[in-house]
Amino acid sequence: MSDFAIGPLSRTAPTPAHARIVRAVAAKEWTEMRRDRRLLALFVFTALLMLAALGFGAAENARLARERAAAAEADRALWMGQSAKNPHAAAHFGQYAFKPLSPLSLADPGVDPYVGSAVWLEAHKQNEAQFRPARDGGAAARLGGLSLAYILQTVAPLIVLLAGFAGFSGEREAGTLKQLLSLGARPRDLLAGKALALIGASAALLAPAVIGAALAVALLTDATKFSLADQFLRLGALVIGYAVYLSGFAFLALGVSALATSSRAALVALLAFWLVNSFLAPRLASDIARGLAPTPTAQEFRAGVAKDKARTFGHDETHPAFVAFRDETLKKYGVTNVKDLPVSFRGLSLRKDDENGYVIFDEHFGALQAAYDRQDALRGSAGFLFPLLALQPFSMAFAGSDSRAQFDFATAAEAHRRDIQNEVSDNIIHFQRDADYVAGPELWKRIAAFSYRAPTAGFALSGSGEAMAGLVGWLGLTVAFALFAIRRLKPL
Amino acid sequence: MSAFLAGLRFEARILLRERAVWLALVALVAAILFALFSGAARVEAQKALVAAARGEEAQRLEGLRKTLAKLEKGETADDPPPYRDPRNAAYMGGGPAARVAALALSPLALAAVGQSDLFPPVVKVTTGSKDGFLYADEIENPANLMSGSADLAFVVVFVYPLVILALAFNLLAGEREQGTLSMTLASARRPGAALAGKFAARILAPIGVTLLATAVGVGAFAGASVLASGAFAALTSIILIYGLFWAALASAVDGLGKSSAFNALTLICAFVLVTMLAPAGINSLAGYAHPAPSRLDMVLAARAASTDADKERDAALARYVDEHPGEKRDRAREGTLRRLATQEAAFQRVESVIAAHDAQLARQRALADRLGFLSPALLTYRALAGVAGASETRYRGFLDSIAVFHVEWRDFFLSRAKAAAPMTQADYDSLPRFAERGETAAADIAAPLMGVAISTLLLSFLAMRGLRRVRP
Repeated sequence: MSDFAIGPLSRTAPTPAHARIVRAVAAKEWTEMRRDRRLLALFVFTALLMLAALGFGAAENARLARERAAAAEADRALWMGQSAKNPHAAAHFGQYAFKPLSPLSLADPGVDPYVGSAVWLEAHKQNEAQFRPARDGGAAARLGGLSLAYILQTVAPLIVLLAGFAGFSGEREAGTLKQLLSLGARPRDLLAGKALALIGASAALLAPAVIGAALAVALLTDATKFSLADQFLRLGALVIGYAVYLSGFAFLALGVSALATSSRAALVALLAFWLVNSFLAPRLASDIARGLAPTPTAQEFRAGVAKDKARTFGHDETHPAFVAFRDETLKKYGVTNVKDLPVSFRGLSLRKDDENGYVIFDEHFGALQAAYDRQDALRGSAGFLFPLLALQPFSMAFAGSDSRAQFDFATAAEAHRRDIQNEVSDNIIHFQRDADYVAGPELWKRIAAFSYRAPTAGFALSGSGEAMAGLVGWLGLTVAFALFAIRRLKPL
Repeated sequence: MSAFLAGLRFEARILLRERAVWLALVALVAAILFALFSGAARVEAQKALVAAARGEEAQRLEGLRKTLAKLEKGETADDPPPYRDPRNAAYMGGGPAARVAALALSPLALAAVGQSDLFPPVVKVTTGSKDGFLYADEIENPANLMSGSADLAFVVVFVYPLVILALAFNLLAGEREQGTLSMTLASARRPGAALAGKFAARILAPIGVTLLATAVGVGAFAGASVLASGAFAALTSIILIYGLFWAALASAVDGLGKSSAFNALTLICAFVLVTMLAPAGINSLAGYAHPAPSRLDMVLAARAASTDADKERDAALARYVDEHPGEKRDRAREGTLRRLATQEAAFQRVESVIAAHDAQLARQRALADRLGFLSPALLTYRALAGVAGASETRYRGFLDSIAVFHVEWRDFFLSRAKAAAPMTQADYDSLPRFAERGETAAADIAAPLMGVAISTLLLSFLAMRGLRRVRP
C-alpha cells in the first residue's frame, strides 16, 4: 500500500510533506503503467526493435569497417607497387583516403549514408568525397533506416505520449482529479509525481538501448583508431540528450492533458504534434533552409573553382602567371635561363601552382561548408519548438556521423594530399635534371599512407551549442507549459 | 440506396459543423499545395541544371572547334600539348569534348523527389572507365538529403492517412459510446446501408479534398494539359487506392466492436508499423541479406588495372628499345598509347566489377520488392516516385542508357586514336548524341498499385464482416 493511501489528505489535516505526495503519485502512476498490458507490450516491442536495430547497425558497421580497412590496404599496395615514373605522374595517380567509421554510428548513422567515404588525393585538384551509399539504397531507405536513433527519435516519444496523454484528463473523466485536489494535493505535486513516473518510463525505454550500445561499443571499437573512453563520453552525452528530449515529451503530454477537454482531444493534439515533429518539421526545415541559404550546384561550384584556377598556370607554360613566376625565379637565382638554375624549375613551378591552388580550394570548400553550416543552423533554429530539429544534429555530432565530422575528415585528407604534392615537388626540385627523370619505390615508401584520428567528444561538444540550447529550451518550454496548464486544475 | 444517401447526408452535415474537421482538411490542402509549389521550384532548378550543363558543353565544343580551325589554318605558333589539342582523339573524348547525358524530366516530376536528389540529372560521359564519371554527385548538404523533402509523396504517404484515420477511426465506437448507435440502426430500414453512408461521408471528405487539391496544384504548377495525361490518372488512382486502404483498415478495426481509445491506439500502432517500421525493417533486412557491395572495389580495380597496364607497357617499351637501339622515340605517341592501354584495362576491369555489383544489388532490390508488399506505404511511395519519373527503376534505366552510349562514345574516339587519325571539323559535327532508352513508368506503378489494392480488398472484406455484426 502506498504512502498516499496510508496518509489521508484534507484541507483540515496538517499540510502533508509535498515530497511524500510526489512519491505517492509517481508510485501510483508507475503501477498503473506496469498494469497496462497494451503499454507494456509496446515497451517490450520497442525494446526488442531497438536491440534488433543495434544488431543490424553493429553488423553493418563491422562490414563497412572491414571493407574500408581492406580498401586502404589495397590502395597502399597499389601506391607502393607503382613502376618507376616521374614523381608528378605518381602524384596524378594519387592515393585514396578512406574515412574510418565512428563506432557510435552503429547507433546513429547520421549523414554517413549521404556522404562519400573515399577521397581521391590527386595532383592539382581537391576532390569531394565519392560514393554515397544511399545511391545504392532503394526506395525503402528514403523512408528511414532501422537505426537505434530513428526509433528513439520517433517511436520512443510516441510511447511517452501514449503513456501520458490521459495523465490529467483521465483522472478528470474518472472523477478522481477533484478528489485528489480537494484532499489538498497541490497541482504541481501531481504534475511532479506524474512527470517522475513518465520520465522513469522513458528511462526504462532508454535503458536497453544504452546497455546494448555500451556493450556494442565496448566489444567492437577498434582501440587503435578510437579511444574507448572518448566513445563512452560520447555515449554519456547521447544519453543526456535523449533523456532531455523524452522528458520534454513527458511534460508536454501532461500539460496538454491538463488543458484538454477530454483524453481524446489530448491524444489528437499530441499525435498531431508528434507527426509534425517526427516528419513534417525536419522536411520543412530543410526546404526552408535550402531556400534561405542556397548552396551552389556542382557545376557552379566546379566552374567557380575553375575560374579561380584559371588565374594560376597549371601546366600552361604560356600563361602570364607562369611567365611572371619564371622571371621572378630567374631574378631570384641571378640567372637568365631556367637551364642555369641549380634546381629544377619544373619542380618549383609545380610547387608554386599547388600553393596557388591551396588558397583557392580553401576558399571554395570553406565557403561550401559555411553554407552547409548556415543551413544546419537555420534547420536547428526551431529546435526548442520541434525538438527533433535539435536532437538530430546533437545525436549525429556525438555519434561522430554529422557533416562537421565529415568536413574534419575531408580537411585531413586534403592536408595529406598537400603533403604528397609537396613531397613530390621537392623531389623534382632537387633531383630532376631532364625530362626522363623517374623516381622509384624509395619515394613511394617515404610518402606515408593516410592516417586519420577522428576528433574527440570535445569537438562534438564545440559544434553542438545551438542543438544543446534547443534541447534545453524544449525542456524548459514544456515544463513552463505544463506548469501553466495545471493552473487550471481546481478542486471545484 | 436511399438509406446510404441519407446516412451520407446526415454524417456530412455533422462533419461540416466540426471545426476540427475543417482545420484538418484545410491543413491537408495547404500541405498538398505547398508540396506541389516547392516541387515545381525543384523541377525548375533541375531544368536549369540541365540547361547549364548543355550550355557548358556547347561552349566547350565551340572552343575546341575554334582552336581546331586555327590549327588547321596554321594560325598558331606552337602545337598545344596533347591534352589541349582538339585533334587528339585519345584526350578529347576523355574530357574536353565530353558529352552531356541528361535525364528527361517527367511532366509530373513535381510530385515526388524519389531518387532525384541522389542521382544527378546530367552525367558527363567520357571515354574513361565509368568510375571516373558515373558516380559524380550533385552538391547537396547531406543533412538535407537525410531529412528528405516535403514533397507530395510525403504528404500522401504520411499526412493523408492520418487525416483519414482521424475522421474514420470511431464511427461505430463513437456512436456506441454516445449511445446513438441503436437509434441510428433502428431509424433506417437498411441499417448496414445507413452506416456505410455515414462511413462514406467520413472518408470521402479527406480523399475528395486530396484529389481536388492535387488536381488544382498540378494544374497550377505543372500546366492544365498534364491533367489530361495518363500519368495524372495514375497519380489519382494511387491517391484513391491508398486512401481506401487506410479507410478500410480504420473500418476493420472499428468493426471489432472495441472502444474509441482501443481503435485510436491500434490504428496509431498500425500507422507506425506500416509507414515507418516496415519500410525501415525491409531496408535493413534486404541490406543484411544481400549487402550492397562497396564501390571502393571498383576504384581499386580500375587503379590496379591501370598500374598493371602501365607495367606491361613499360616492359613492352623496354623490349622494343632493346630491339631497336638508336631509333628516335615519338614520346607524344608513346604517351597516347600508354593512355589508351591504361584506359582500356581500367574499362574492362571496372565493367566486370560493376556487373558483379549490379547483380548483388539486383538481389537486394528483388528481396526489398518482395518484402515491400508488407507495407502499402512503401508501395505507394514507390508508385508515386514512378509517376514522377524519379524511381530507382527509372534511374537504373538511365544508367543502362548511359552504358550503351558510353560504348558508342568510346568507339568513336578510340577508333580514331588507335589509328592515329586526327579529329576534324567533320568529326566534331558527327559526335554521338545521347538518347534515353525505354520507359519504365508503367511497371513502376502497376505492381505496387496492385499490392495496395489487394491489401485494401482484404481489409474491406474484414470491415464488411464487422459491419454485418453490428446489431441495434
